[in-house]
Amino acid sequence: MPKTFFRDFIGLEVKETKYQKLHVFSKILIPLSLSFSILFVKDVFSALILVFTSLFLCKIAGIPLGFIKKYLVIIISLTSFISLSFMLFTSMPGNVVFFEYTLVEIRAEKGVAEWKITISDASLNATMVFVSRIFAMVLSAVLLLGSVSDRELIWGLRSIGVPYGACLSIALFFKGLQLFVSDFYTVRDAMVIRGVDLDRMSLASKFKLYVNALIPLLTLLITRSYEISLALESRGISPSSKVPTRYHVPEFRLCDFAAIALSLAIAMFFYFCPSLWG
Amino acid sequence: MNVIEVENVWWTYKGREEPVLKNVNLRVEKGEFLGIMGPSSVGKTTLCLTFTGIIPQRVPGLFKGNVRVLGLDVKEIDVTELTRRVGVVFEDPESQFIMSTVEDELVIGLEPLNLSREEIRDRILWALDLVGLDKSFLDRSPLQLSGGEKQRVAIAAMLAKAPEILVLDEPTSDLDPLGKEEVLNVIKRIRDELDITIVVVEHESEILAELADRLVLLYDGKVVLEGSPKEFFSEVPKLISIGVYPPQITQLFYQLGRNSPPITLSEALKYEVLKLKKAVMEARPIKGVGDIIVECRNVSFSYEEDKFALKNVNLKIRLGEYIGLVGPNGSGKTTLAKLVAGLLKPSKGIVYINGKRIEEYDKLSLSSLVGYVFQNPDHQLFNQTVWDEVAFGLKLRGLSGDELESRVRRTLEIVGLQELAEEHPFFLSKGEKRRLALASILALEPKVLIVDEPTTGQDRGFSYRILSLLNDMRNRGITVIVITHSIPQLVKYADRLIVLKNGVVLADGNPREILADGSLVEEAKLTVPQVSVFMQKLGVSPIPLTVEEALNILE
Repeated sequence: MPKTFFRDFIGLEVKETKYQKLHVFSKILIPLSLSFSILFVKDVFSALILVFTSLFLCKIAGIPLGFIKKYLVIIISLTSFISLSFMLFTSMPGNVVFFEYTLVEIRAEKGVAEWKITISDASLNATMVFVSRIFAMVLSAVLLLGSVSDRELIWGLRSIGVPYGACLSIALFFKGLQLFVSDFYTVRDAMVIRGVDLDRMSLASKFKLYVNALIPLLTLLITRSYEISLALESRGISPSSKVPTRYHVPEFRLCDFAAIALSLAIAMFFYFCPSLWG
Repeated sequence: MNVIEVENVWWTYKGREEPVLKNVNLRVEKGEFLGIMGPSSVGKTTLCLTFTGIIPQRVPGLFKGNVRVLGLDVKEIDVTELTRRVGVVFEDPESQFIMSTVEDELVIGLEPLNLSREEIRDRILWALDLVGLDKSFLDRSPLQLSGGEKQRVAIAAMLAKAPEILVLDEPTSDLDPLGKEEVLNVIKRIRDELDITIVVVEHESEILAELADRLVLLYDGKVVLEGSPKEFFSEVPKLISIGVYPPQITQLFYQLGRNSPPITLSEALKYEVLKLKKAVMEARPIKGVGDIIVECRNVSFSYEEDKFALKNVNLKIRLGEYIGLVGPNGSGKTTLAKLVAGLLKPSKGIVYINGKRIEEYDKLSLSSLVGYVFQNPDHQLFNQTVWDEVAFGLKLRGLSGDELESRVRRTLEIVGLQELAEEHPFFLSKGEKRRLALASILALEPKVLIVDEPTTGQDRGFSYRILSLLNDMRNRGITVIVITHSIPQLVKYADRLIVLKNGVVLADGNPREILADGSLVEEAKLTVPQVSVFMQKLGVSPIPLTVEEALNILE
């Protein structure tokens, strides 16, 4: 099974596919080009193409998308908020208005100020484009995290000449992140064991408690940073270390050039054709 | 030839007034195996860091004196240069890992050495082989290995650099008995097969008695005792007075008035025939006679589908019992404890607390019945003062005014922290933090107190103090459940052991009977007190569990 960020952070196993064997540079460039394209899409049709392209790439990367079900509540809430914001706070009359209701109307000498709920073809289109862009963004992030590991990232960066100290910092960042998340859950358990019921707490009390949680988390961060720096120093490694040998030398293969070409093609396509429908 | 020379060394960490090292003098010869002993926080790790130049060059502080390692002055030599020749392995293997695979963990230390890729590969395989690991480990995540495997990877990462000196700072203190055995075998192999000087910091005297050529005792920042293991451990009263416990066998023979007491089991068995004044060991009365407070009926739990961390556990625990929850790492001890504390929900079966199903309690009322003290106190302290920390749970229960005041004061007195009530928990010592974490739970007056690994990484003196404090809690009628690998210390107080392995209860009963069962001990990799092993070999049955018990039946 390939090692990926997903495996480290949420324990998700990804299938061994040809995509997973690409050079890390290609595996970073593909989701990057998808994210770049998101900035330009303007209509539903283009946005949906982007979503399906991302889905297709996730599929060939062997990432089981079933795990997204766990995050469905968040995605649906986000979608609902976006829909509401386009209908409630932005008046988009468009060509066809399906529903309109005036919430507040203030008449003054210089005109009328209104706050309306408007469901029109334009607001629905804007909602769908926005939601599709978010889906595409989520999927491109899934593609990146489901195909790249911290070690690959470091090899990849070193292969393109990034200094050793910077690569080491990235490795330490990911290690720190993993430890921080695991410490957070333990601290939360330690609060629960004293009688804290997070489910029944008000948002303000919860916020205050999480601020308190920063005390042990920062204490642990300081202790761990000290321990890690000692471990690094004792191995003769420092940010300024000169490292003449590269043990892992990932090679560019023909399929990598094809992947890079595909990435560039996707980005250029959406840059020059942001709207395919109308 | 001396490879390490420490002369009149003083070291004070920046921001502290008291020096950690106070005029330390020490010499280590080439090829020697030196053991450093001493209670926690006396400067053992600090001294080891001077061997690599990390102190005084990298850690801020005030340094006086001279340290020469392999003929080089640690104040002047480049640390990177010196650490290539001196390898240091620390207590917690996890904190030493940076990379996500075993292979990369070894590679990271070798790439700066200007070796070819083939040489790096050869060195990795050689070092892994030396610590008893094979190629199949290369691709595995160090964090998913067992404790012993992790520490062996950490040692391999150092050995791969082919150092001339290897410093092991409490290499076994975080490990279960199996891990300990694995690491000790590696240390023995290194000692026998490589031309290398080894310095080991260790609390377990039984280990150093077998391995070391010479021992030094560090106390109050100074070397206060030095000699061969035989000379060193014969100073029984001096060692015990400062919290360093000689091997139990040495204590036993010393108490029997023998000159030059043996320091290892094999030596003791050759010593002389001891006469028994009582043929039978009297059973220790079981103090837990209260009602059933915890009951597990067919409890199973899985973190992942079809991989059970606990399988069909059935248990009844009574008020006032002192229980040791023991077994190898990954056997399900913490999972079981978390199920009883309500931090996890069983996949199958029912947990009853005080006769009621656990899910019928809300979090507040359950936490008033079952307290859980985490292994690392840093996870548990999240208030601004020691007082607030103890008062936190009480305030959640609506206590205020005089009642709150008296409960907090009483609890702080029990753990001896009343003088530090206004101190920020961050500035407490590790031992004080542990006591505060315990106090924060004790204040809630739970009926069941679960304590996770309270003795891990602590010296024997501290371990006995904390276990004795828990015994006081039991005497107040609280059920105490201790998760631990330190069976020799625990059995001084515990009247019941629950042995887990692979999520199954292997045994549940009197420690004397469990520890006398050789096949069970082997299967669950339990550490039997040295004195019990000795008496068993003499044919004594039932076996004594402590030196005091053994003295009672010997003439």
